[in-house]
Amino acid sequence: MKNNIIILGGGQAGIYAAREIRQIDSKSNIKILGEENLLPYERPPLSKDFFLDKKKEEDLYFHSSDVLKNENIEFENISINKVDFENKKLFAKNDNVYSYDSLLISTGSENKKITLDNNLKNDIYYLRNLEEAKKIKEIVSNKNKITIIGGGFIGLEIASSLSQLQKKVIVIEIGSQLMGRIIPKQIADLVQKTHIEHGNEIILNKQIEKITKKNSDYEILLNDNSLIETDFIIAGIGSTPTVKLFENTNLKLDNGIVTNQFCETSIKDVYAAGDVSNFYHPFYERNMRLESYQHAQNHGICAGKNIAGVKTEYSSIPWMWSDQFNLNLQLTGICDEYDEIIERGNDINNGVIYFFLKNNKIRGACGVGVIGKVGRDIRITSKLSEKNTIVDKQILSDQNLKLNKLMQK
Amino acid sequence: MSEENWIEVGSTDSIEEEDLIRFDHQDKTFCVYKLTDGFYATDGICTHEAVHLEDGLVMDDEIECPMHQGIFNIKSGEALSPPACEDLKTYPVKVDNDKIFIKID
Repeated sequence: MKNNIIILGGGQAGIYAAREIRQIDSKSNIKILGEENLLPYERPPLSKDFFLDKKKEEDLYFHSSDVLKNENIEFENISINKVDFENKKLFAKNDNVYSYDSLLISTGSENKKITLDNNLKNDIYYLRNLEEAKKIKEIVSNKNKITIIGGGFIGLEIASSLSQLQKKVIVIEIGSQLMGRIIPKQIADLVQKTHIEHGNEIILNKQIEKITKKNSDYEILLNDNSLIETDFIIAGIGSTPTVKLFENTNLKLDNGIVTNQFCETSIKDVYAAGDVSNFYHPFYERNMRLESYQHAQNHGICAGKNIAGVKTEYSSIPWMWSDQFNLNLQLTGICDEYDEIIERGNDINNGVIYFFLKNNKIRGACGVGVIGKVGRDIRITSKLSEKNTIVDKQILSDQNLKLNKLMQK
Repeated sequence: MSEENWIEVGSTDSIEEEDLIRFDHQDKTFCVYKLTDGFYATDGICTHEAVHLEDGLVMDDEIECPMHQGIFNIKSGEALSPPACEDLKTYPVKVDNDKIFIKID
């Protein structure tokens, strides 16, 4: 039967869902509605290789328009402002109406904004999309002392790039460690040390009281009365799922759109995937919302299968990375449910990994090292975790012993 | 192609099964793999970002990049999983008297 399938959100989850549906279902109409007038593109390079001119705009697109044309996937740049789930319709700002049989919501997430002083809202920059990246890149070329509010992944990646562009960088973090939301302190401290060695200033445990504009510069007053002078401010203080459109509907929301392990929402024929979805993970037996490249891709693919009628459970082991200076940081699984921590390695040049175990099985691991040094072990860890393998702690803790010895054939 | 294009990499016992070694020749880096059915060779740098595949994970016929988990088929070089989308170049391999040679063009 020919269906109208609409994918609301033109990011990574959306495009991977569309292509997956098309692989299974050659007949249905598939249309992606995207708010940005750009084909789906990779966001990770925006804070890194794009800033450093190692990647250009044309290198960022997942697929060319030819790929979409060949697979008969439509992409339309449109902003939807109303949803009628009962009658299966979406309404656009320009009065266009879109009817669907199945709907995938992949609207992603958006940056939290600093609420200190509304008069300064155009003075503080945020990075999520290509347009913002271009703007920041252009402006910072004439700036020297840049302050980054928020010591999470995005803030630190920008700090690393700007440092490589010979800028003086100050990072202000409200918490007692960097990347505190998901990264263990041991790893965060190693990353912090690298930033400091490269000349970045890291300020922890400080809240911003006030930002004052002085001609074209700014003064940032912290809660210990110290004052920071800066000529450009970028904030990366976390994100929230993009769900405003659904707030007064029957769609069940709780830190995003609540979905089951099949990407199904509380409304029939409506699915959600990627950053916007707070999904049930059957392996961990709990709900979670993830903001990562691998998740956006795999969750999109899984939603695509389910929409096309191939019932598929989503049980990917979470995995994410961050690249800062010459370091590659990786995290797999979950690192907040454990009864034992095992350390592997102690030199960042060879890679350092912390394993988080529960009942002698790996629940998660986080590692950092010079590029290339932790990836293989983290990948093996994902597989061990997924198979619920009881691990030999001697092998885990000894970097001279290969982890693939733990893999069952 | 002339015989000179076959470059000696090392002895066959220098690689464990389902593993790889890095081989540098002139200004290029290669990876040479031992799979269950023989030896194979590819470029040594991931096509997605400049990282050495020598630190990657070999599983069955696949090499996975240690940085961002792009996956390539070792035998064909095909990019199998994003973020890798450009194929990896492969090279012919022969074994002669327990020595591995690769043919570099």
